[in-house]
Amino acid sequence: MKHTARVLIVDDEPDVLLLLRIELEAEGFETLLAADGETALRRIVEERPDVVLLDVMMPVVDGWGVLQRLADQGSTTKVIVLSAKASTSDIAHALELGAHEYVTKPFEPAALLVTVAHVLQSSPADLEAGRHRRLEQLTGAKTFS
Amino acid sequence: MAADRQELAREARVVGLRDFSTPSLEAVERRRWQLWTVAFVVMVALAGGLVLMASSGARSVGLFKHLPVRVGLVFLTMGFALYVLEKEVHLRRLTRLLLDERVLTAALSNRLKELAALATVGKAVNSVLNLTQVLNIILSSALELLSADGGSIMLLEGPDELRAVCVRGHSHAEGARLKMGESIAGHVAQEREPLLISGPASRERFKNLVLQDAPVDSALSVPLINRGEVLGVLNVHATSDRQFTEYDLRALGLFAEHAAVSIANARLYETERAHVNELLELDRMKSEFVATVSHELRTPLTSILGCVQTMQRRELEPEINADFLETIDRQSHRLLRLIEEVLDVQRSATGPLLQSKTIDVAQAVAQVATTQASLGREVSVRVDGSLTIDGDPEALERVLINLVDNAFVHGQGPVAIEATADDDGRMVRLSVLDHGPGVPVSDVARVFERFSRGAKVTAPGMGLGLYLVKTLVERQGGHITVTQRPGGGAAFHVGLPASPVRPKPQQVHQ
Repeated sequence: MKHTARVLIVDDEPDVLLLLRIELEAEGFETLLAADGETALRRIVEERPDVVLLDVMMPVVDGWGVLQRLADQGSTTKVIVLSAKASTSDIAHALELGAHEYVTKPFEPAALLVTVAHVLQSSPADLEAGRHRRLEQLTGAKTFS
Repeated sequence: MAADRQELAREARVVGLRDFSTPSLEAVERRRWQLWTVAFVVMVALAGGLVLMASSGARSVGLFKHLPVRVGLVFLTMGFALYVLEKEVHLRRLTRLLLDERVLTAALSNRLKELAALATVGKAVNSVLNLTQVLNIILSSALELLSADGGSIMLLEGPDELRAVCVRGHSHAEGARLKMGESIAGHVAQEREPLLISGPASRERFKNLVLQDAPVDSALSVPLINRGEVLGVLNVHATSDRQFTEYDLRALGLFAEHAAVSIANARLYETERAHVNELLELDRMKSEFVATVSHELRTPLTSILGCVQTMQRRELEPEINADFLETIDRQSHRLLRLIEEVLDVQRSATGPLLQSKTIDVAQAVAQVATTQASLGREVSVRVDGSLTIDGDPEALERVLINLVDNAFVHGQGPVAIEATADDDGRMVRLSVLDHGPGVPVSDVARVFERFSRGAKVTAPGMGLGLYLVKTLVERQGGHITVTQRPGGGAAFHVGLPASPVRPKPQQVHQ
C-alpha cells in the first residue's frame, strides 16, 4: 500500500533519521527531517506535516518542549513519540502533553509503519479518545476532560 | 533514719513531751522552760524551809524539831536537783537530735529540688533531638538551677579548639574560639575537672585569660564528658552579689553528666540523619542511573536493530547497505564503550593499584590531541616548559580523554588543554577548557558524583564519566575542580603531583 502523506521525523541521531527516512520513503511517504525541537516546531508550522515522529531527548528544545508548545498553540498535528525512555511515567507524561501514540526504542520498523498508517487513517476524535483511554489505563484516573 | 526517729520518740517520752511521736524544737524549749520554772519554785521553797529551820534553832516548832525530818528534807532537795539535771540532759540530747533532723531535711529538700531540675531537663532534652535546641535547654536549665546571670556552652571542634555554640547574658560572644588549655574554659576542658572561681580570675593561673564584658563575682565551669570523651565545657557566672559554693559546683557537675549524654545523643542522631539522607540521595541517584543507562543502551540498539531488520526486509541500494553496515558497526562499538564505562567505574574504585611512573606531560597531552584529531575533534595544546608528573600513564590518558569527551559532548569545540606548574612547583595543573554552557553553580557540588547529571543536561551520558575522572585523579594523589570561564564555557582543572625526576631526553622525543 502506497501513501502520499507527509511525515516529519525529529531525532538527534543521524542514524535513526536515515533509517526512518528509508523505511517511510519506501512506503511512498514524503519525509521531512529535523535534528532538534526548535527546527521541528518551525517545520510543523511552515510545512504542515500530516504526522510527526518525535524523539524526546534532544538538544535546544526537547520532545517535551515540542509537545508543550504544540499544545499551547492549539495545534491539531498528529504526533507519535518515539523514545528510548520507556518508563510508565514518561509515557503518561507524553500522552498528557497531547501525543497520540508512544513507541519505545528500539522499535521494529514494520510495526512502526503500521502505527503510522493507523494514526494517519484515524479521525482526530478517534485519536483523542484512544489517547484518553491509554492515559486512563496508565494513571488509573480520570482527571482530564 | 528509722533508728533516729525511734530514739527521738524515746527521748521525747522521757522528757515528758505531750506529742512525743512528733517532737518539735519549740515543744522542747517550752518543756525546758516549764522544768526550770518548777525547779526554781521548788528550790526557792526548799531553800526557804532550810533557812527557816537553821535560824529558828531552839524555837523550832512542829515538824522541824525532829532530826529525821530535817535529814529527809535535805535528801528531798538533792533528789529533786538530780531529777532536774537528768531531765535537762535528755532535753539537750533531744534538742541536738532535732537540730540534726532539721539540717537533714533541709539538705534532702535541696537534693529533691536538684533532682526535679535534672528530671525536667532530662525530659525536655529527650523530647528534642536537634542539637541547637538541646544546647538551649541545657543552658537555660543550668542558669535556672543555680540562679545564675549568664553562661555559655563551648563545644570541642577538631582536636584542640573550643567554640562557644550557645551563649546567655554577658558572656563569650557566640562563635568565640579558644584553644585547649587557654582561659578558664580551656583549662577546665584540658584538666577535666570542675572549677569554682570566686572573685576575679587570676592571670597567673589561666593562660590567655579572656575576661567577660561585665565584672564577674563568681563563676562555675564544668567539663562535659561522655564515655570518657570531653565534648566541651559548661560555664555559668553571676555578676550580682551571688557567690557560688562548693555545693553549687557539685550540683552543676552532676547536671553536666546528664547534659553531656544528651549532647552526644543529639550529635549521634544528626550524624545518623545526615547518613540516612545521603543514602536516600544515593538511592534516588541509582534509580535515575538505571533509567539513564536503560536509555543510553537503547539508543545504539535502536540503530542496530532497525538497520538489521530493514536490511532483512528490503532490497536496498548498495551504498545504503554499506551505510547501514557501518552504522551497525559504529553503534555496536558505542554499546561496548557504554558497558566498559560502567565496568570501569567499578574497577576504578576497587581495581588494582595504579602504577607510579614519571610521565612527560607534553607527550601525554599531544597523544590525546592526536587521537581526538582522528575523530575530527580539534584540540589545541599548550604546555608551559618541560613538565613531568608521577602517575599512571593509562589513568592519565583516560582522565584526559574523558574530560575532552565531556567538553565535546556537553560543550562545543574547539577544546584546549593547558598544562602549567603550580607556583611552588609541587603540582602540575592540567586544564581542559571548552566553549559550552559551562557548569551551573547549582550543579558544581555534585558534578563529580556518581550517577549525577546536570539538571538541564540533555546530552547523552550516564553520569559516570566525571566520577571516573575524579576517582582516577584522586587515586594518583591529585585533585580536580571545575570553574566557569570568564567568556563562557567550563574549565576543568586537574592537579597531579609533579615528579622530582627529570625524564631522560629520549623519552621526551619518543
